[in-house]
Amino acid sequence: MIKVSNLNISFGENVVLNGVDLEVPNGSTIVVLGRSGIGKSVLLKCLVRLIEPDTGQIEIDGKSVLNLKIKELNELRKEIGFLFQSAALYDSMNVEENLAFPLKRHTELSDKEIKTRIIEMLDMVGLQEALKKMPTELSGGMKKRIGFARSLILYPKIMLYDEPTTGLDPVTSKEITRLILKMQERFKMTSVVVTHDMICALSVADQIVMLEDGKFMFKGSTNELIKSSDVFLKNFLSTNLENYPKDPSERR
Amino acid sequence: MKLNFLDRVITKLAAQVVEFFEIIGGVTAFTVKFFANVFRPPYEIGEVRKHMDELGVKTLALVSVTGFIIGLVLGMQSQPVMARFGAEMFLPGMIALSVVRELGPVITALIFAGRVGSGIGAELGSMRVTEQIDAMEVSAIDPFKYLVVTRVLACTLMLPILTVYVNFVAILGGYISVIITQNLTFALYVDLVIRVLKFSDILPGVAKTFIFGFIVGIVGSYLGYNANKGTEGVGKASTTSVVISSLLILLIDVIMVRITLFLFPE
Repeated sequence: MIKVSNLNISFGENVVLNGVDLEVPNGSTIVVLGRSGIGKSVLLKCLVRLIEPDTGQIEIDGKSVLNLKIKELNELRKEIGFLFQSAALYDSMNVEENLAFPLKRHTELSDKEIKTRIIEMLDMVGLQEALKKMPTELSGGMKKRIGFARSLILYPKIMLYDEPTTGLDPVTSKEITRLILKMQERFKMTSVVVTHDMICALSVADQIVMLEDGKFMFKGSTNELIKSSDVFLKNFLSTNLENYPKDPSERR
Repeated sequence: MKLNFLDRVITKLAAQVVEFFEIIGGVTAFTVKFFANVFRPPYEIGEVRKHMDELGVKTLALVSVTGFIIGLVLGMQSQPVMARFGAEMFLPGMIALSVVRELGPVITALIFAGRVGSGIGAELGSMRVTEQIDAMEVSAIDPFKYLVVTRVLACTLMLPILTVYVNFVAILGGYISVIITQNLTFALYVDLVIRVLKFSDILPGVAKTFIFGFIVGIVGSYLGYNANKGTEGVGKASTTSVVISSLLILLIDVIMVRITLFLFPE
């Protein structure tokens, strides 16, 4: 379970998060919506202490993230997968080396077992043929899939997605969304998805929050969001949902 | 109008001085962090070796040509002066002393700063802005240890090796300049060089390159590791690392020369 209480962070005069509270129950997926530059990624990075908040509390599975020593924090980080907006593949390594990197450092697996795990992950994201390719040889969508495979390679309990579909064409975005759902179903992870892609958000979310002016102005289910009469929410949704299926069974 | 121009120049200069000292402060803190990490496992020896290979390959051709030309030009320029004093037989010794004590270490370090320092700044800067360093951190792998400590160690160990090599090449270049004007065999040239060179000439020259190599590695790593503002930040990290490390190499060289003269007065 992820629990965030009264989280505050400012960069100079710019207040980004102003008393944010959030709870994500085990196995559920919460989507953080909001305009670009509003602080969604900052919130996500605070959860793994890539950014230190000014004040507040973050608890993951009962551990106070902000009070952990670096060794304890790293133990916790091994249980968290993080898909970066840019995929963040190590560009000096090929796909196989990228995926093997966390395994070689954090597990006692033999070379053969590592290779088997890599093939298994690549198979899941549908990119077995990319094994020996360098990141520069991959398209944006392929990079995201490989980044996804790398973040799942240690079988994390928690998955954090930073703009998983940003910068991708609609077809590839839909593929990534499907992949997120497939992985959620298979690994039953607790997930936080940061996005402003409404189609992805409504497809994967159990719960949705909307960040605005450093606070969550909305918390609720996808249906509550769609039915909301709030003008700001209506505007935000209307620009994104022209092609969104009305029937919930068609969304996934 | 003139005053405005002066104002602008002074303001810009003051800003650059402040930035310089900010970087020096940051590099100092980075150095402390380096020593706090370098003796802690994992030692990443494979990475250090890989970086040493890369640095060697990257700079070998450039330092070879430069070293050879330094020896050649030094001999060509000095020969007429030495001839004026009837001291042509001392030319090989003079070339060797100049190269081993000063020119070899400093020129190699400056080339190293230009080629390797900028490369480290750009590489780590690009890793920073594309979130690769964050990805490493979030995978519970210490990016400072994996990326910075290994590169700084590789620079510190590789520059002395390159300097010794450049010294040999430069002395060889000096021989070419000598045979243009004098009838001197290679064996006699080598004999004249060895007779002049003492341990106290070679040791300080090579020893200071460990410090120069460290400076190139730590400055490039600091600026790259802390790069921001996208591609502009990467470019700035690359160029600033060359400027700062070259400046520090020259400043440290002055101090090292004083220390050498104090320790080896002969």
